[in-house]
Amino acid sequence: MGAQLWTICAGKGGVGKTFITSSLAITLSKLNFKVLVIDLDITGANLHSAFGVALNDHNLRKYFSDQAPLSSLVTPCRVPRTYMIQGFWDNWLPIEIHLDRMHQFIQDVRKLDYDYVLIDLGAGAQSLYLPVIEASDEKFLITSPEPSSIEKTYRFVESWIFYRLSQVGNSDSIKNLECTLRDYRKINHNTPFCFRSYLKESSGFTFDHLDSINDKPFQILINETRSQQDHDLGYSIKSICNKYYDLKVDFLGSIDFDNAVWQSSRGREPVLISKPFTPLAGQFLQICKAKTQTNFHANFLKEVV
Amino acid sequence: MEATKFSYYDVLEVDIHSQQHEITHAYERARNTYSGDNPAVYSIFSEEEAREMLRMIEEAYSVLGNKTLRNLYDEKISKGVGKLEDLSFDNLSIESKLTIPEPKKRVPLTKLDYPRNEVMENKYANAADWTGSLLKEVREYKKVSADQLSVVTKVSSFYISAIENMEPSQLPAAVFVRGYVGQIAKYLGLNEKIVCDSYMKNFKQVGK
Repeated sequence: MGAQLWTICAGKGGVGKTFITSSLAITLSKLNFKVLVIDLDITGANLHSAFGVALNDHNLRKYFSDQAPLSSLVTPCRVPRTYMIQGFWDNWLPIEIHLDRMHQFIQDVRKLDYDYVLIDLGAGAQSLYLPVIEASDEKFLITSPEPSSIEKTYRFVESWIFYRLSQVGNSDSIKNLECTLRDYRKINHNTPFCFRSYLKESSGFTFDHLDSINDKPFQILINETRSQQDHDLGYSIKSICNKYYDLKVDFLGSIDFDNAVWQSSRGREPVLISKPFTPLAGQFLQICKAKTQTNFHANFLKEVV
Repeated sequence: MEATKFSYYDVLEVDIHSQQHEITHAYERARNTYSGDNPAVYSIFSEEEAREMLRMIEEAYSVLGNKTLRNLYDEKISKGVGKLEDLSFDNLSIESKLTIPEPKKRVPLTKLDYPRNEVMENKYANAADWTGSLLKEVREYKKVSADQLSVVTKVSSFYISAIENMEPSQLPAAVFVRGYVGQIAKYLGLNEKIVCDSYMKNFKQVGK
């Protein structure tokens, strides 16, 4: 079996994508999986600091400029069974990557010999990220309980739906869809709106392919929750996506706010390494166990044999 | 979107096979989401939309939260009979009353209503020796059925008949019997103390 591809994305920056990527990787390595993390944030690499590793110019830039194969860029992290490929740090050079190149990248990643490959994306639904998200086996959508971050999560979801619809619709129907939606936003309605039924009525779109989007739903993860109320926002987001967008998402869980996180980031050491027995570690363990259920037992069996 | 286009299960976002407690749980979650100032809602739904959503949620729960109505609703859906529009709470509750008639409520007598007979009134007012049969006589004279007496006094009709037949084996300890007799006497407009004292004296005699 090839590597399982997990992408970590978010609508807004600063909600903890990198922190969650590194923590998931460390937890998976504790569960005896061989893990590779890839920093694909095109606005600037920072996954290395989460692991306390120095910047390296042997990074994705070399792969995308055809100077080195992907496998040669892998460097070990300071955590056992965990490896990383560093991201762009020469942002003064423009990053022009063709979509075909991106598909090639995904294929190359899949060929690597790891149990899990975690890809840390930058904020927002950039056109470069969307094919990666589409190809991944699990997609984690990170948000914080702040209203601004939740709002941007919805913007992210909308971009995602449009991206998927644009693959199946013709250009006319997409344009029609954009117009009807824009018009709809301007008017105030007193009955709740629903994507699917509204578009069905207004433009004759068939939305059966929305079902195919629902195959591998986004896993909503709320970072920095401080109360049960914050945690329950996950169910609210799920309900909104279901009712408004007709998009199935799963609420995976929430990560508590913990001062240890920023404290250990000052020391450039992953919090799960410096403080391995916090509730935080338990929450990550729970998530990883839930998401590796099928491989979990097989992996321990492998160890025994 | 019209409320009726979606099944109540869609509204509460639960599976059709969900347990009753899961439905309650989902309802509470949905209510939390759409009522109040939820930061996850305001940027998507206007206040009016949220209110409408809340109304649908309440309506869905009024059917799915009730076992009888839910069964009826499930049955209708599985048969595919009628449109979802016909399956509103009001229609279902009317129908459930047809299939499972509500028990008729007995109207308890609050006031005694009987033709007065001065001779009898005097006889009962001055009576000093009270037995079960005399209590029964008074009850029948005042046109109160054992059932009605039971509803008003909260003494079971089984005990009432045992008191009237003076059967200690069918009754609890004497102190309770005294309480029952007191209730009965009070309702029948008799002197509680005289009735209780003399009835209990006779009652203990029977027991021996």
